[in-house]
Amino acid sequence: MAEGKVLDIAHISFLDMIKVMITMSGAAAAKGTLIRNAISTAEKISEVDYSSFDDFLAAIEDSTNPITQIEGKATHQGEFVFGLTNCPFAPSIGNYTEVFEKLPDGYADFTTEFNKPSKVTDIYRVGEGAGVSPFCSVHQPMRSAIAERIKIGGKKIKIYQLGCKAGSGKKGFAEKWLAETGVGQDVVDKILDNHMCCYYLKVLD
Amino acid sequence: MSGKEKLKKILIVDDEEDILWSLQNNLCNESLQVDISAASSGEEALEILSNSEKIDLVITDIKMPGISGLDLLIEIKNRYPYTSVIVMTAFPSNEYKKEAILKGSLHFLEKPFDINGLREMVTLAIKEDNMFRGTVAGVGLTDVIQIKALSGVNSALRVKEGDQQGIIYFENGQVVHAICNDLEGEEAFYQIMEFTGGLLDSINVTNMPDHTIAVPVGALLIEGMRRSDEKSASGNVVESSDKENSVVEVDNAKKEDDMADLKEVLTEFTNIPGVNTACLVGRDGFLLDSIAMSGIDTEMIGAIASSGFGASEAMGNQLGKGALSMSMIEYNDGPVMLSPIGADAFLVVVAEKDANLGMIRLKIKKHTSEIVESAAI
Repeated sequence: MAEGKVLDIAHISFLDMIKVMITMSGAAAAKGTLIRNAISTAEKISEVDYSSFDDFLAAIEDSTNPITQIEGKATHQGEFVFGLTNCPFAPSIGNYTEVFEKLPDGYADFTTEFNKPSKVTDIYRVGEGAGVSPFCSVHQPMRSAIAERIKIGGKKIKIYQLGCKAGSGKKGFAEKWLAETGVGQDVVDKILDNHMCCYYLKVLD
Repeated sequence: MSGKEKLKKILIVDDEEDILWSLQNNLCNESLQVDISAASSGEEALEILSNSEKIDLVITDIKMPGISGLDLLIEIKNRYPYTSVIVMTAFPSNEYKKEAILKGSLHFLEKPFDINGLREMVTLAIKEDNMFRGTVAGVGLTDVIQIKALSGVNSALRVKEGDQQGIIYFENGQVVHAICNDLEGEEAFYQIMEFTGGLLDSINVTNMPDHTIAVPVGALLIEGMRRSDEKSASGNVVESSDKENSVVEVDNAKKEDDMADLKEVLTEFTNIPGVNTACLVGRDGFLLDSIAMSGIDTEMIGAIASSGFGASEAMGNQLGKGALSMSMIEYNDGPVMLSPIGADAFLVVVAEKDANLGMIRLKIKKHTSEIVESAAI
């Protein structure tokens, strides 16, 4: 007798819930709800001030950095550009697609909605082409919102989402944030060859 | 204030003796010293105005036998342009609306009123009479028609622009007849609505003409505005018979351009009696701008409303009803109206139960493109 697959009901429910939200109130409202939820989660994180950028990096290594705690270990690629090897939603997606083969309908519309210019994506410097799935609308704003609770040497920091890669390998780039940070798309493209997510950290004066 | 400084003159007009007595005895206090006279009718008020030195401010009830408060307002506007006017009305009230109205085009005092609120309004009116002059002079035709309707009057409104003239007849506040050039009835009303400026003159009518219009005022205004919008959109500029009219048209176009600030447009909604909050919200539920009465969390309203708006749209799609043009949710204490603005936002208008819904719809229709432009959405 073949062994059955035990579902992670939390993952399944969350992914299907996104589909229900899109159906019931449209992709825009669903996007807003997920982003508000992400920001709300970020607000629960305690504020921290690292004495130096090296200390910030060290906190990533020992997983005490609040950003690391929600997404895993990112690696510094130089010039304040980071690459994240694994998408934090990969286990959920894997669990779902293992059983249902493909993600729910409506996700493409949602992703298009997330990438449209909007007030909230401007505030958190996300989207604008860097979204490759609805999960980006949770992950990217949450990271940016957490960054607002982090200081380095007493100075505030900002995160700019530069690009992201879908499980299919398709890459998305945020031209607006690339232009604003001065990071070349070729640099991000190369980083995304070996990573799923790429962002820039700016230490404010 | 020095003892030698001349007191500002205020005329209070109301057919209710209790109100007159109360205001005459309670309006002045340590911080507000004014010379108060009283009239129990519009006719008496006009007599006092013509026989006395300049009256700085008239506070008048809107519903009175004979000359109504509105008629009086128009007479004052025509004859004594430097006299400010506060109109007392029984519209529902809130503190925020008072503030908005003070900055808006008409100055309403809502009954029952708080004497301190009235003192504040009077103080502003007599200190900053330039602002009051400007705003009273800026009363629009649709505003006057709305107030005529709300006050339930029997009278006529003569509208003159250049060598064009029209008359709208009101019976118990309803528009029952209109004449404009060779036209009569609804078409005449719509023609008058296309006037871009001119003079207003309120006339007492002893013999009401035969009724040619049976459509409610709100519907007339909406249709009139729709026709004007269509005319503007098609680039069909109203023909002017003289240079003066052309200048008026250019001025009006400039005024439209100048009104770029989104807050000003939102104030157009909160100036409607009974409307206390107007929010522009992204379809994702994030607030773009708002004017709201104190105590309303507009960020949260935006978030919640986006689900309601999205749900209304989704239902329309499901039922094959096409695009959503308006969604209204009625509560015990008044409606909330949601209307799409461009492709990425919607407007939330929170009203009290006696608010004029036709006027809200009219304003939405009128200002949608302006909001899209102002908000760059």
